[in-house]
Amino acid sequence: MATMMQEFTKGLWKEIPPFRLVLGLCPVLAVTNSAENGLGMGAAVIFVLTLSNVIISLVRKIIPKKVRIVGFIAIAASLVVTVEMLMQAFAYPLYQQLGIFVPLIVVNCIILGRAEGFASKNPPHMALADGLGMGIGFTISLTFIGSIRESLGAGTLFGVDLFGPSFEPFTFMVQAPGAFISLGLILAGMNFFTAWQAKRNGVELDPNFDAGCRGCAACKGLEKIVNQKKLERLESAKS
Amino acid sequence: MASQEMSQKLFTVSSAPLWHSGRTVRLTMIMTLLALLPAAFMAFFKYGYGAVEVIAWAGLTAVATEFAVQRLMKQKPTGDDFSALVDGVLFAFLLPSTAPIWLVVIGSALTIILGRMVFGGYGGSPVCAPALGWCILTISWPDFMDLNAMLLNWDLVEPLSELKYFGLDAVAAISPVSLLFGDNLGALGASQVLAVILGGVILIGMRHVRWLIPVTFLAGVFVAGLVFNILDPEAYAPPVFHLLTGSTMLAAFFLMPYPSASPSRQIPMMIFGFFGGVLVIIVRSYGIYPDGVPFAILLINLCTPLFEMIAPKPFGGR
Repeated sequence: MATMMQEFTKGLWKEIPPFRLVLGLCPVLAVTNSAENGLGMGAAVIFVLTLSNVIISLVRKIIPKKVRIVGFIAIAASLVVTVEMLMQAFAYPLYQQLGIFVPLIVVNCIILGRAEGFASKNPPHMALADGLGMGIGFTISLTFIGSIRESLGAGTLFGVDLFGPSFEPFTFMVQAPGAFISLGLILAGMNFFTAWQAKRNGVELDPNFDAGCRGCAACKGLEKIVNQKKLERLESAKS
Repeated sequence: MASQEMSQKLFTVSSAPLWHSGRTVRLTMIMTLLALLPAAFMAFFKYGYGAVEVIAWAGLTAVATEFAVQRLMKQKPTGDDFSALVDGVLFAFLLPSTAPIWLVVIGSALTIILGRMVFGGYGGSPVCAPALGWCILTISWPDFMDLNAMLLNWDLVEPLSELKYFGLDAVAAISPVSLLFGDNLGALGASQVLAVILGGVILIGMRHVRWLIPVTFLAGVFVAGLVFNILDPEAYAPPVFHLLTGSTMLAAFFLMPYPSASPSRQIPMMIFGFFGGVLVIIVRSYGIYPDGVPFAILLINLCTPLFEMIAPKPFGGR
């Protein structure tokens, strides 16, 4: 059985969303045009994700199987309303910057994914560690993408001028296509790094998982099922 | 490895004695470069050494970037088939001749990296790489890509910007013949209309480019321009104006038939070309940039897989 520490640290690198666990891409693409927005969005997600994980884990035996999704969403929605009101009270400029994406945390795949995949099967203290780790990992990622896009696209980082007046900002990066391209290049870099690391350690990468799935440990238990399916397909192709 | 096992399925190509047609990527690319030469000469005579400088930097950066990325991806270097050079030169043809060197270098490198190498190299790209490079630069640095502002030393005007910002009256005096001879400002190579047509016709004559896409593209521009013109002759320019300005001709002969980004069957090619042309007029009429040809090309490139689905049914198939 994994310890609390392991559940916490897996969200920081091994399954870091959204680079390894490619979930919750809507805010990743939409609000990361500056590092500050990324950080603020990440903080909101930490709050919602940790609390929703704990609450769902507490009530996991009370909710009937058939209506569990509705239950998870209702819990997440109440937490998001709380965050929204807190932000309106204490961080109004940030709230205005993030706009519609704060309410949209309700339908963020990470919240539901962790609720369904982890919190509904594990005791509260594990769910707390998982939610906190995933939330912090998400914040790190968002701030990372945000700082890349902001420094190239506006020449600033957290509002501080970086390159001096002769720099012509690469506006493309702070606009919508820049988000897709920077996320794609970061994902490619992560896969390249995983392959390089595996080669250096002499580990054979499982060829049954394509490059995107190799690095992520989220569905390690599914390997057998996937292998079985592939074998069946091979055999049916031969006959 | 399982993936290798799966790819061992053999495909029937044809019965045994096969004959190589002699056509290679390299030959096509060399012919394309030769076909671009007249326009490059015209650009040199009109804009001086600046034009040559831009073309040279763009071509050099394209080849060097491709080599570097191929080293990184552990691919076989393919600089000797000249496809990267062609992409770089085509990209340079869309720039103003006074573009600063850093702009040319960044744009050309992005053309190769984001337009080709991220998709696996030449032949894997779903979009026209030079058009993509132009679009990124235009979104990022609109001031440096503004042809009118960049070419202030010349007394001529850029017809599409005039049309966009000052209305149809501003361009009413420009005759089609002067447009044909490139007697106006424009992108470095794309505005040398006659020379581009000459190169394109040579390429089609030697069958390196199939005639369907250019012809249907020009027909699309003409028909859509005519429809707009008939609907409101006081707001929209006549179709011939659209055919001879901006990069329409370069797009028709060199960018639209971009090998991996255009369909390969006749009916899909006709639809692809025609709607590409219609999109040009739509983007020019409603878009915020004066010349929308590369945007139209990228949009229609993304529809190519849909057009490719129009295929003849196999006998007995469903």
